[in-house]
Amino acid sequence: MSETSGSFTAEGAHVGKLGAHKTARKARVTTGSGFMKTSNFIPYLTFFILWEVFSQMNMKLALFNPLFLPPPSLVIVDAWALAQNGLLFDSLLSSTLRIAAGFVIGCVLAVFMGVLMSKFRQVERWMSPLLNLVGPIPALALLPLIIIWFGIGEFPKVLLIAWTTFLPVLVYTVDGFKTVPSTLIRSAMSLGASERQIFRRVLLPSAIPTFIVGARVSLGLSFSALIVSEMMGAKSGLGYIIVDARNYFKISNMFVAIIFIGLIYSIFSALLKLLENKVLSWRKGGMNEAVEK
Amino acid sequence: MKLMVRNAGKRFGERTILKNVDLMVEAHEFVCILGHSGCGKSTLLNMIAGYLLPDEGELLVDGELIRGPSKARGMVFQDHALFPWYTVLENISFGPEVQGAGKTEAKEVGRQFLRLVGLEKYADQYPAELSGGMRQRVGIARALASSPDILLMDEPFGALDILTRDMMRRELRRICEKLKPTTLFVTHSISEAIYLADRVVVMKNGVIADEFKVDIPHPRTFDMPGFGEAMQRIEHVLMENELEEAIQ
Repeated sequence: MSETSGSFTAEGAHVGKLGAHKTARKARVTTGSGFMKTSNFIPYLTFFILWEVFSQMNMKLALFNPLFLPPPSLVIVDAWALAQNGLLFDSLLSSTLRIAAGFVIGCVLAVFMGVLMSKFRQVERWMSPLLNLVGPIPALALLPLIIIWFGIGEFPKVLLIAWTTFLPVLVYTVDGFKTVPSTLIRSAMSLGASERQIFRRVLLPSAIPTFIVGARVSLGLSFSALIVSEMMGAKSGLGYIIVDARNYFKISNMFVAIIFIGLIYSIFSALLKLLENKVLSWRKGGMNEAVEK
Repeated sequence: MKLMVRNAGKRFGERTILKNVDLMVEAHEFVCILGHSGCGKSTLLNMIAGYLLPDEGELLVDGELIRGPSKARGMVFQDHALFPWYTVLENISFGPEVQGAGKTEAKEVGRQFLRLVGLEKYADQYPAELSGGMRQRVGIARALASSPDILLMDEPFGALDILTRDMMRRELRRICEKLKPTTLFVTHSISEAIYLADRVVVMKNGVIADEFKVDIPHPRTFDMPGFGEAMQRIEHVLMENELEEAIQ
């Protein structure tokens, strides 16, 4: 008997130690990930330093024409020059507005259509084949046609972005509605929820995760639609800067535009992540929570 | 409240799941439906809940035909089916809220049932943060909070470990002593059925094989007189064909 109790206390002490160890680890992990999240800049810095060093080296050794790969320092100088005459700011503003408008309109329409398709079987029956028909057509193929139809104003650009956003978001949203666990719908019914309440309180929230995946996929596609639409018939925009730079062989200006495209994409992607964290705060699990490291 | 199942039958394609099922549940009665997996007990429960419709016969509550799910029949699922995007309290308040109670009133009802299952401390947690037993307690509280006439439970403790299962049985009995809800409880555990029920209905291959009244006073323990005997009798009913088949 005494032996049993002895082993029990030993076990208790052991568990206590483990617990203390665990909390210490947890604290370290939290501070670590917090630090990493706010300022994980080292990979970026390394990338640009390597680029700078390589370009500078190439300028001296002339492995290939140094004009083809200007160093970041030169890109910054040229960006400053572009900013001076106002083109850079105009382009950033118009590109951001176009992508924001197109993306939001595309998402809203996709969710709306997704709701209709999941609610009315006939709508799905008619829409699915049509969407399969037009879905795979790349934005680039549609652009000349859209320009002929709608001219070169803002509308055709936003339309093209919205269209590219619309299709993947729609596919994911419909899928989200279809994969709602039936026990959730059953329990809502048994608790007295009306069809409307079930839609708003059960179907919609459980389709949100897949909707956000769709939005993520679309974001990349809609950026290519943005740049493509600005390459034809535009007077400002990051795509316009690239085409303009090609015409005058100012390769560093191309890099300015390319870097800003990446930057705006990162900002939009971060906003989407923020939305995701806010809407899906109830979600737990994933690789990070599977094992403590 | 009086539930009546008359001559009910159900087929899925060629397969007959239920045939000629007659069952009556009186108000405040606790009835367990016991059987092997695949014997049709969950199908019967889903029909009573209104999720499935019978191919033959009829199901009546107080003389009225069951035509679909209703708030009068609360369900507790094996996979708990809590809404993962709502907190524990929001889950429990869901019923009163969709039934038209004000937000604060619904929350108050929610709190009251949260207290009943002893989880006040977890009101603002999400279901994913709870253990299996706690989730199931929330599931029971949620079903009870919309004050159903009959509580339907589909193997609610089936996915829990044996110790939690034991605790949940006691917990459920305690709640039943307090609220005296009419309960229909599906299980495949003989001891669970005898521990909980006033009456055990044994199902085999889609028909009701036998019924047993359990008169042992609560709180029941395994060593009480009559407990072991009841287990043996039910086991015999459940196993007799299997034994014959094995011999042949």
